[in-house]
Amino acid sequence: MNAAPRFHLTKADRRNLRTAAPFILPWVIGFFAFTLYPIVYSLYLSFNRYSGIGDAQPVGLSNYRHLTSDPLFWKSLWNTLYYTGLAVPIGLVVAIVLALAMNQRVREVAIYRAAIYLPSILPLFALTFIFIVLLNPRFGFVNYLLTLAHGPEINWLGDQRWTKMSVVLLAQLGAGGPALIFLASLRAVPSDLYESAALDGAGALRRFRHITLPLITPVILYDLIYGTILGVQIFTPAYIPVGGTSGGAAYTAGPDNSLLFYVFYLYKNAFQYSDMGYASAMAWVLFVISVVLALAIMRWSKYWVYYEAA
Amino acid sequence: MSLLSRRGWKASLVFASIVLAACGGGGTSTAPPLAGCNSGTTQATFWTSHTPPDSDSLKHIVDAFNKQSTTTCVKLVQVPGSETDIAKLTTAVRSGTGPDVYMLDRFTVAERAAAGVLTDLSAYGASSLASNFVSFAWAEANFKGKPYALPFDTDTRALYYRKDLLQAAGVDISALDPAKGPPTIDMIRTMANKVNHKTGGAYDVVGFIPYINQGWHYTWGFAYGGSFFDAASCKVTPNDPKIVQAFKDMFYDWDKALGVDAVQTFLSSYSPPNQPAQQDPFLQGHLGFVVTGDWVLGQIATYKPDLAYGVTYIPVPHAGDAPATWAGGWSMVIPKGAKNDKGGYEFMKYITGAEGQKVYTKETQHTPTIKSLASDSSLFPGQHQFFINQLPAAHSRPPLPVGAFYWDQLSTAQDAAVRNTADPATALKAAADATNAKLSAFCPLT
Amino acid sequence: MTVLREAEKAPGSLVIRRPARPRLARFFNKTLPESLGPRLILILMCALFLLPFWSMATAALKTTQELSTFPPTFFPQSFAWGNFSRAVNYIPFGTFFMNSVYLTFWIALGAAISNPLIAYGFSRINWPGRDVVFGIVMATIFIPFPVLIVALFDIFARLHWIDTFLPMIIPAFFGNPFFIFLMRQFFLGLPNEISEAARIDGANELQTFMYIILPLARPAVAVVVIFAAVAAWGEFLAPLLYLQDESKYPLSIGLQFYRQEHDVSYNLLMAASTLIVIPVVALFLAFQRFFIEGVTVGSVKG
Repeated sequence: MNAAPRFHLTKADRRNLRTAAPFILPWVIGFFAFTLYPIVYSLYLSFNRYSGIGDAQPVGLSNYRHLTSDPLFWKSLWNTLYYTGLAVPIGLVVAIVLALAMNQRVREVAIYRAAIYLPSILPLFALTFIFIVLLNPRFGFVNYLLTLAHGPEINWLGDQRWTKMSVVLLAQLGAGGPALIFLASLRAVPSDLYESAALDGAGALRRFRHITLPLITPVILYDLIYGTILGVQIFTPAYIPVGGTSGGAAYTAGPDNSLLFYVFYLYKNAFQYSDMGYASAMAWVLFVISVVLALAIMRWSKYWVYYEAA
Repeated sequence: MSLLSRRGWKASLVFASIVLAACGGGGTSTAPPLAGCNSGTTQATFWTSHTPPDSDSLKHIVDAFNKQSTTTCVKLVQVPGSETDIAKLTTAVRSGTGPDVYMLDRFTVAERAAAGVLTDLSAYGASSLASNFVSFAWAEANFKGKPYALPFDTDTRALYYRKDLLQAAGVDISALDPAKGPPTIDMIRTMANKVNHKTGGAYDVVGFIPYINQGWHYTWGFAYGGSFFDAASCKVTPNDPKIVQAFKDMFYDWDKALGVDAVQTFLSSYSPPNQPAQQDPFLQGHLGFVVTGDWVLGQIATYKPDLAYGVTYIPVPHAGDAPATWAGGWSMVIPKGAKNDKGGYEFMKYITGAEGQKVYTKETQHTPTIKSLASDSSLFPGQHQFFINQLPAAHSRPPLPVGAFYWDQLSTAQDAAVRNTADPATALKAAADATNAKLSAFCPLT
Repeated sequence: MTVLREAEKAPGSLVIRRPARPRLARFFNKTLPESLGPRLILILMCALFLLPFWSMATAALKTTQELSTFPPTFFPQSFAWGNFSRAVNYIPFGTFFMNSVYLTFWIALGAAISNPLIAYGFSRINWPGRDVVFGIVMATIFIPFPVLIVALFDIFARLHWIDTFLPMIIPAFFGNPFFIFLMRQFFLGLPNEISEAARIDGANELQTFMYIILPLARPAVAVVVIFAAVAAWGEFLAPLLYLQDESKYPLSIGLQFYRQEHDVSYNLLMAASTLIVIPVVALFLAFQRFFIEGVTVGSVKG
């Protein structure tokens, strides 16, 4: 990690810059062409009242002030953070477990891998219909398993205490994706490390804790950040189970608005209520929160991530 | 340097293939004229979010129009995805790539007009068409005294009941004959409770759950004679005492009597979200009564043609009260910046006129908004006639620039009342405050 | 051989009586028990994960009548294979399919080319301000997409790219922060010694990248390709906004046609969804060879 003072570039610095430039050039171009303008524009909009068409009226900080007194804003924020707090750790554990399973030296492992990965490529639109059936409190498979285990009959989509957990479960169907990433990193762990540990008498669990785990920490960090970002921006999985469209109108976003996620509420403001200014203000609040979260995770990661290089 | 030339090679290869790809994917400006168009006509695009079979009927009307028009030829484009409609429309309109005619939910006309998405139709002489349409439909199509849409179809709601289930429970269903006028809520409650049935401690048949399907806040608010908007003060009034009473009776107390959690479990089990119509609990015999719309007639005919059911007015709180229902439906609009607005208007007049609506009603069994068609009973076989008869007395939701927001606020209040997490008066006051805060920016509205 | 014969004589021994070949013996005595545990767990996991697909496929085969039964039957009573052809004819399936293939190919290609390249610049070269700029790369993901829709649409409209595939394909060639991050993490995990060795041998950065680092990163690149392809295959919002001609719609939009205002053609939707999945599964099976080949970094890491 170098931190050369800004206006004092050494010869080596300059040379490194020159060599790096062509590599990152595509991103730089894309950033200026497709990203910077929309981001700046949305910041500008957050200080205006704007319907999407016509003129924008400057309103100063009133959008932001209004946010603080909007109960649905706080509710959607709570829903999102609660969901993320559940989904990220659970998703991480599930992905690692799946990756370990996909890494087994079994002849036909390719078939198992494909089967585990399959749900994450099913069209989400159709998958949510299926999942609603599986989560039926009386006739669904999930509650059937629960009754076998003498558990309670949970009203997954009808009880506001369980709706977010339902979405977490639905999200785990897509765990095949992150599992693949972990599989790639598991495969990069040199096997001679395991062999020498086994010779020293280390059992499977100890080998996992002391060899595998440290070496996959860079990927764990990736999964944490990726999962957190996806978590706070969750949109579709909440929108479909709830989209009751009788006569073209929708009911609340889940019982007691428990599935009103932040980005979904943002979207409603932008395109259903035609209040793009308010939506943009919401977006920037989310931006600040996400950056804080990400920085916190990155700082925390210094204590447990192990990089071979740099 | 070798580095640059190597990379340059790759880059130009990529660039070339992209250009080739673009050539494959573009080129609408030089498209040949549509088949079925008369020569000398200019094209008008018409967007709809409807899917087959409804869109098939729209296609028929478009074809018929194209045949007889010497100035305009319409191209129908399906743009599926209902909620995201306005995202697509807004982005398209603001950059001049929008359609000439758009099929818009009539309830949202005021909102979109206030947002500046729609073209004022008075310039085309639309105001002269006012008397052709049912009054509530025309009211919804106007904003600040100007017409922004031409009404297309509509729908009304009524109380459906299962003759077989009720009779088996010993109920005298002759009391439900529409000729006797709207039934009272008390009467329905007594009948419904006879039908309730539990197996293993959980409901498998419930007589009547007032707030599902089309038993909305608006439905019961209108049934109780409440008013949702006061034009004089430019304020929404969901905390109208009659509406509060409706919430208390039909949502709060009703659910409490049946058992809040028990009902929720019943609903999640037999009526989960996005269920295909053939599994509907009313069709499957899990509900004795249900408030729903006229489109269900078609579903019954398709999925359970031998169903023993009847239709009557939505129940009212006191004997002798006037029946009440509300109507939704669609309309045709011209978005701002339409390139062929005149051609678009010509088409709009046709499809929302008697000719177009007749075809649509015949083929889809929806309800027309053209007054003259309402008296043609050949268009409304069976129970559909009852819904047509309700039209003159149907309400429409107040056309507000915050219509969607107001609806969501009312739904939140309804949900709180149903789950007994807040008392109706408080919940509705919160809805009023939040909505009026947004509405005030648009006042006055006349 | 001798050992086996002797063991045969011992009464009550657990060794399998006279196996024909040593390999068979090893299979029954060692491989099978060792792999039985993992196998059982794998089969259980697969059953769980295949359940949604099973539900989908059985729903696809049910007649409309059988769909009325509630709760849904686990196994279709009769196999309505006709649903597949009905689903395919209900919408212009073939056209939508080819559109999806086209989009997915170009987007995956763009991802495969741009992301490793960009990530290399952010990980294997130390230049002033690198981490700050990378911070900006990551920061861009935190802006939710719905907010960028309007302005982004403006840009593409000005370029006259509306109603073409370009707004979806071109940005894929300019990197995606998720994939950049992923590849960067991977590259950072490769030891400096490799690059040093290449540098000493006289290779410039591009050669180091292409001939040393990239081959080692094959699993990660495969993952990027698979992810990008799957994401492109299911991409819904972008095609919805940018495409205006039905003949250009991809399958993700096409699925919406199975939904009506108050109903949904459930079995047809499931039939179509089942068909849609097949190419992606094929893609996956083709690319997962990279995992089997494995990466032997062990020799350098030591």
